[in-house]
Amino acid sequence: MTDETDHDSLIQAVARSHDREAFAALFDYFAPRLKAYLMRSGAAPAAADDFAQDAMLTVWRKAELFDPRRARAATWIFTIARNRRIDVLRRDGRTLPVPELNLGEIEPERPDELFQTREDESRVRSALRGLKPDQIEVIQLAFFQDLTHAEVAQSLELPLGTVKSRIRNAMIKLRTLLDQPVGDQS
Amino acid sequence: MTALRQPSEERLLAYAAGTLSPPESVVVAAHLAMRPRTAHWVDGLQAVGGEVLESIQPAAVADDLLARTLARLSAPSDEGPVTLEPANDMAELPEPLRRYALGPWRWIGPDMRVRDVLAPRDGDCRVILLSIGAGRTTPVHTHEGVELTCVLSGAYETDEGVFGPGDFEEADGEVHHRPRTVSAEPCLCVVALDGQIRLDGWIGRLLQPFVRL
Repeated sequence: MTDETDHDSLIQAVARSHDREAFAALFDYFAPRLKAYLMRSGAAPAAADDFAQDAMLTVWRKAELFDPRRARAATWIFTIARNRRIDVLRRDGRTLPVPELNLGEIEPERPDELFQTREDESRVRSALRGLKPDQIEVIQLAFFQDLTHAEVAQSLELPLGTVKSRIRNAMIKLRTLLDQPVGDQS
Repeated sequence: MTALRQPSEERLLAYAAGTLSPPESVVVAAHLAMRPRTAHWVDGLQAVGGEVLESIQPAAVADDLLARTLARLSAPSDEGPVTLEPANDMAELPEPLRRYALGPWRWIGPDMRVRDVLAPRDGDCRVILLSIGAGRTTPVHTHEGVELTCVLSGAYETDEGVFGPGDFEEADGEVHHRPRTVSAEPCLCVVALDGQIRLDGWIGRLLQPFVRL
């Protein structure tokens, strides 16, 4: 795995000087992962190539919005892919916008302490490592496959109720590890 | 169960992962706009997405994909900050809902009105705004699918308790749902409806052909 600050500075080089070599380096690392991500949601290889290309073109266009104080490169690129995938896999085939997670274009109104920071991010990541392997597994499945929980249950050969409670328990555990009470409302 | 008045952990995870259906995402986005702390948690879940993107087994892309992509690079646009024009005139709506055009208000009963939010559908699942006047009760109904509701203003009460601005409720086919507005003002909600609503009782069956939600 490449050094993560490396990826950050590559995106910044794209933003600063439209650095094509930096872009190519990012492409080499992320495009095959973006392709795999879409294929695990059921897309054919050619469609997944298009998707990876598309997401990487967005990385190029929006590089200026990347803020390493908020998120690391992989998270920022994941959010691009998440927003894009919703459009690609849409069943209604129409072009109405789906709510997107923010990449920094429009800042939602909220108190400063509720903006995502890189420290928040690393807390979530280390909490994730505190989960049991089967809990990590269900959370990963929820991310990478556009599956209903019934399908997750089938692929893990578990009853549906078990999968649902496993996801819920894993999420509650994740929150506990982050010391954020479940259902804490603002 | 619904006592938290926020989406279940599984639903928040699906939203963060981008696997939630578009109509449901619209209602969750409205809720998150009104609950910054939960929105912050969803932001944090993006880090989980980043983590798994890195840990996935890469799939080799087509040999010429990099060359084709480089050929399509243009100078990043100098458009400046993006401004989104609201697509409707209801300034009281949270930002995610301002992006959609709205259908006309339709009368569905005394002091009860509904209008379509022209957001993406998913099969039978679509998004509506529902306004129920003070003191009014919707007809008892059950749902064929899941119904997600976020209160935008006012408040309603069900067997589960009182739901006020920003509160989120999930009701499925098991629930005989009979929300009653308990605020002095009308209760305005955004709802993702999956499947048809079945009105209970003989009056409900008489009304059914006329009430198209």
